[in-house]
Amino acid sequence: MHRAPSDLLQAAFADPVLDAQKCFRAALKALSEPGTRQPLVSVAAIEPLQAAGYALCLSLLDNDTPLWLAPAFDTPAIRTNLAFHCGCPIVETRGEAMFALLDAAALDDLSGFYAGSERYPDQSCTLLIQLEHLDRGPALSWQGPGIDGSRLVGLPLAPAFWQQRAARNDFPRGLDALICADGEVLGLPRSTRIGDSLQEVA
Amino acid sequence: MHTREQSPRQRWMAVLARASAAELAPFESALRDCAYQLIRPAEIGMTLVRGRMGGTGAPFNLGEMSVTRCVVRLADGSTGYSYRAGRDKRQAELAALADAHLQGPQQSRWLAELIEPLAAAQARRAAQQAAETATTRVEFFTLLRGED
Repeated sequence: MHRAPSDLLQAAFADPVLDAQKCFRAALKALSEPGTRQPLVSVAAIEPLQAAGYALCLSLLDNDTPLWLAPAFDTPAIRTNLAFHCGCPIVETRGEAMFALLDAAALDDLSGFYAGSERYPDQSCTLLIQLEHLDRGPALSWQGPGIDGSRLVGLPLAPAFWQQRAARNDFPRGLDALICADGEVLGLPRSTRIGDSLQEVA
Repeated sequence: MHTREQSPRQRWMAVLARASAAELAPFESALRDCAYQLIRPAEIGMTLVRGRMGGTGAPFNLGEMSVTRCVVRLADGSTGYSYRAGRDKRQAELAALADAHLQGPQQSRWLAELIEPLAAAQARRAAQQAAETATTRVEFFTLLRGED
């Protein structure tokens, strides 16, 4: 049945200002302490976009942030709600996107996303990645700014993702990622180095 | 100036946007008498007002004004939008509810009971103001000065 776009609309944050600020704070903390989980505000999910990923979208996206959608998330309901609540342009070309909304199936190929320039590394594309869990994967040793010594993080990510990330990580250029599942977000900034245990899984 | 035809919905949204709080208040219980969900709870923002000198000149920025907007959805799925000048969230919600009801099966009833009286009152006020303004009108005549 054909549905008018307005039928697909649903309510977003209960308190748009405070909830968006709480999620923004959680995302900042996640990136400043890579590998730690930060709780996000609960919001009604838009299948297949879970509450955590949608909350991140609502707090980070606006009309200045072109978004690229992975095929799994490119549904009329998600497009309609993001256009209504965030007002973000949805782009077809990866290189134009400032944010990318990805699922696990889209992580094998990170080509095309803008990694910033030497002069403006901050203009790189930020990856918003939705996973099933934030654990249950092979534990890797993370090191770098925001981590005291090293931290073991067991994300359920395929070796291909780490290779793709490393191939685009030419500091200060690189891709930052916010990984979310089960109402929590975990940060993986470009400055985080993945330790020796990588070779065991790769 | 206004060459584009106004759709019925544009007309009733314009009427609702201009209706005063006192005019909408009597319909509050009738408007709220249904299950509805706030898709975008009433929120206050600013919008830039632009004008054209003489209506045809180059556009210039007149200034900013406060605007309240709201979006509701009724249980039957119709979605109502409202934009109103000012900071009155309750009125914005009522106007959005009215827009949603006006798209539903009861459209003719709402048009007759709510929109037409409001439109008539607004036309009356506009005509009254035009009449008051007309009494202050000064006609300037240019006299031939006979310089040549």
